[in-house]
Amino acid sequence: MFQARARAEILKEVVNVVSTLVDEAKFTVNADGLTLRAVDPAHIAMVDLSLAKDAFEEFKADESEIGIDIDKLGQFLKLARGDDLVDLKHDEEKRKLKIVVGDITRHMSLIDTTGMSDPKVPNLELPATVTVRSDDLLQGIRASETVSDHIALVASPDGFEMSCEGDMDQVHWKKAKKDLGVLETPSAVRSLFPLEYFSNMLKSVSSGSAVTMHLGSDYPVRMEFKIASDKGEVRYLLAPRIESND
Amino acid sequence: MSRSRRICPNETSNACATMLSIMGVDISVLVKGAPLRLSDLAGKAVAIDAFNTLYQFLTTIRQPDGTPLKDREGRVTSHLSGLLSRNAALLEIGLKPVYVFDGKPPKLKERTIAARREARNAAEREWKEAVAVGDMKRAKTKASQSTRLDDDMIAEALALLNALGIPSVNAPAEGEAQMAFMASRRDVWAGASQDFDALLFGTPMLVRNLTLSKKRRMASGERVDVVPELVELDKVLSSLDLSRKQLVDLSILVGTDFNEGVPGIGPKRALKLLREFGSLERVSAERRAAVPQGFEEVRSVFLEPEVTEDYSLFWSLPDEEAVRRQLCDDRGFSVDRVNSVLSRLRAIPQSCEQSSLDRWG
Repeated sequence: MFQARARAEILKEVVNVVSTLVDEAKFTVNADGLTLRAVDPAHIAMVDLSLAKDAFEEFKADESEIGIDIDKLGQFLKLARGDDLVDLKHDEEKRKLKIVVGDITRHMSLIDTTGMSDPKVPNLELPATVTVRSDDLLQGIRASETVSDHIALVASPDGFEMSCEGDMDQVHWKKAKKDLGVLETPSAVRSLFPLEYFSNMLKSVSSGSAVTMHLGSDYPVRMEFKIASDKGEVRYLLAPRIESND
Repeated sequence: MSRSRRICPNETSNACATMLSIMGVDISVLVKGAPLRLSDLAGKAVAIDAFNTLYQFLTTIRQPDGTPLKDREGRVTSHLSGLLSRNAALLEIGLKPVYVFDGKPPKLKERTIAARREARNAAEREWKEAVAVGDMKRAKTKASQSTRLDDDMIAEALALLNALGIPSVNAPAEGEAQMAFMASRRDVWAGASQDFDALLFGTPMLVRNLTLSKKRRMASGERVDVVPELVELDKVLSSLDLSRKQLVDLSILVGTDFNEGVPGIGPKRALKLLREFGSLERVSAERRAAVPQGFEEVRSVFLEPEVTEDYSLFWSLPDEEAVRRQLCDDRGFSVDRVNSVLSRLRAIPQSCEQSSLDRWG
C-alpha cells in the first residue's frame, strides 16, 4: 500500500536526481518514507536516495516496491507548478500509479520490478572530505566542458582543486581551505572522473545546496547532498578513470 | 574453412525468416537490453565477435547490384574497409577492442554449417538470376545472403588488426564461448555480438548493435534505426526466473546451432515448460513435450565449452607503415583516406581507463 501527497517541486527534485543515471527505477516505500538505489547501465555511477515521510504533506505506506518509468513521470510533472500538490496512489492490482495534479488524473503503468535487483553499495574508505557549494562546482565544470572529457578532483590539506587537461588547453579551478565549508584530508588525494557523468550529476543538485564530497586517489567519489528542504538525502557514487602508466 | 554464420542477423525479410532457425538461437522475445550510449564504453575493453563483425561488413558494404568492394585484382575489400573505419571510431571514443576469432566448430554444428552452405549457394544462384533480369533490390538481398568469409579474408583481417595495434584472440572452438570466458574473468568488461548464444555461454555483459551510425543497413538495403544496447545476463535470468542452465535448456527446445528445436515450441512455450518443470529431464519424464535427442551433449557445448587462457591483451599505437603497405600498396585504398584515419588515431590522447563500480563491490 502506498498513498501520498507531496509538493510537485519535491517530486521534480527526485526525478532530476534519478533520471541522470537511469530511465527506469524501482522505488521502495515503507512506513518511514521512500528509498531508491540504482546504477546506470554501464555501472559507472550509482544513486542512493532516501526521502523521509516528513518530506510529504501526507504519507501512508506498507513495505512495497514500485517500478517507475522516470521519463514518463518527469514529463507528467511538467504540468505542475512547483507548489502544486500532487496526489499519488499505488494500485497494486492493476499495477498502476494514479497521479493527480489539479484537474488531471493520470493512471501510469508501472514497470515489472522482479528483474531489478538492488545494487550493492561498494564499501569505500575515502580519506578526504570536502564541502563545496553546488554553484561553485558548476562554474568549475562549465569552465572545463570545452577543454576535455575528463576532470581531476584534487583535495590537499590547503585546498580543493578541479583541473582539466585537454590536448591544447588546461583549466584549473581552485578554492583555498579558508573558502571551503569543510576540508579534511591527511594528505593530497587525486582521482580522475568522466566529465559528462560528473557534470550531469551535479546539474541535478538544486542551486544553493552544499555538496559534500568524499575522495581518495584513483577511487570513486561519493557526493552527498540534501533534497526536499533537508528531509531527503542523496548519495551519488562515480567510478574513476584510471590512468595507465604504459 | 569457409563457413558462414548469421548470414543476415536480425533480418526480418521473409526470405530470411525461414532460415532463422539455423542462425543462432532466437530468444529475442525473452531478452531485454537497456540502451547504452557509446560514450559509456570509454576506457572499457570489449571482446568483439570477429566473424560476426566481418560478416556484417561483407554483407552490408556492397554496391547497389550487390557486388562487394573489390581491389584492382578483383579481391574483396569490404571487410578491410569496414574494420578500418569501425575501429578508428571505437578507438576514438576510448573503447579498447579485442577481436575474438572462432576456432574449430564443435562437431554438433556440422549440420547447421552444411545447411548454411546450401542456403548460401542457393542465394548466389538467385543473385545472378536477379542481376540478369535487372531486379537490383533482389540482387542486393541475395548477394548479401551469399556472403562468404574465407581463410584469406580472415588472415587479412588479423594482419590489419595487428597493424592497428588491436589485440586478437584465437578461440579453440566457439568465439562466443571464449568471449564469455574472458568477460567472466574480467579481462574484458563485456562481449559484443549480435548473437544471443553469447549469453548461453555465460557472457555476463553483452553489448548488441555496437555500430556507430544510428542506422543499420539490412541485407535488403533498407536502413533501420538501431541503438547500442547492453544485455546483462544476471538481469535476464532473474527476470525470467531461470538459472543459466535452464536458459540453455530453454534454447535447446527452441533450437540452437547445435540441435534442431522441437516443432511447435517457441521461446514462450519453452519458458513455461522450464519454469514449471525445471529441466529437460523433468519435461521429458512428465511427458509434457518431446525433447531433442542427445540434449545433454548440446548442453555441455554451452556449459563446458572449450576455451583458452592463452591470450594477451595489449593495445599499442598503429604501425602506420604496415597499415599503408597493406591497404594502399597491396589493396589500392586511397592514401588520403588511410592517412586521415591514421592521423585521427594519432590524436587520441593517452589511454585512461574508465573503471566500473563493480571493481569496488
